[in-house]
Amino acid sequence: MHIGIFKNYDMKSIPSNSIVVLLARIFLGGLFVVASLDKITDPQAFANAILQYKVVGPTFAMLTATILPSLELLCGLSLIIGLYPRGCALLLTVMLVGFTILVASALFRGLDISCGCFTQDPNASKINLQKILENCGLIILSVWLLFNKNQGSSLLQLFTKRQDNSV
Amino acid sequence: MTMRQTFYEALLLIAAAIILGFAYTYATKQGFFAKTQPAPAVALANIDMISLDQARGAFESRQSVFVDARHEFDFLAGHIQGAVNIPLKMYGTLQSRLGGVAKDKLLIVYCDGAECNSSIELSIKLLESGFTNVKVFFGGWQEWKSAGLPTEQ
Repeated sequence: MHIGIFKNYDMKSIPSNSIVVLLARIFLGGLFVVASLDKITDPQAFANAILQYKVVGPTFAMLTATILPSLELLCGLSLIIGLYPRGCALLLTVMLVGFTILVASALFRGLDISCGCFTQDPNASKINLQKILENCGLIILSVWLLFNKNQGSSLLQLFTKRQDNSV
Repeated sequence: MTMRQTFYEALLLIAAAIILGFAYTYATKQGFFAKTQPAPAVALANIDMISLDQARGAFESRQSVFVDARHEFDFLAGHIQGAVNIPLKMYGTLQSRLGGVAKDKLLIVYCDGAECNSSIELSIKLLESGFTNVKVFFGGWQEWKSAGLPTEQ
């Protein structure tokens, strides 16, 4: 079984792409884990942040504020440990595209609101073009992870391998 | 791995997130399971929020009335220049302070800052009273004062 960088700890056997993919997964996954924490601790504040985009009503905003942070957390963690990396990449891509459209739409409508992406503080920096460009970069990264044949090393595989060796 | 499998993975994660999200908010009595639905989530969909720059623009144009929703004690300690004080809990008795104000006049309601909800709750009451042009300055007193804009005591 090929286990990437963890295979017998022989660094020569590591395809460079595995390391890049692993780093990309840790970066993207970590970003979503961090982004989810503030939303999870205060769903009401996140619902308010969603409402400020003036796209959905209170019930849908609260529904989103209940599910989305958990989805971000699960996808982030799963991507980092290598569990269902493609499924995670697909969901992160969909979420990022959705966020980007929402921010672009708010900018187009002249809304002067904070993003609600990493903090629910209404006084946080306002949405701007830079946010859209950042999201575009993340979309490229997640699409690359989605379609990359090499999904990088899995921490689960490392665990399994160690168990195999101990038997 | 086929795309079909990827979709199944994604669906599994969504299902797990739904369960986790509802379980967490139920356990912590937040969101849908909060004992009382906080006003902002209900109200914000219909109330315009304005930024500091917009509030300043309205102040400089002299075409608006600032309404301070804080307690009288806080109001007396300092408020936006020319603001009318109508503490949320005193709305029933003090709404006459806006007696001479036209119903279509721009009212900008504020409280202490982002941490308070009284500006939003007061703006609901003003809308219910027939005022048609009510906006909430969410940054409130703290943001106004920090920006060094005109205040009085």
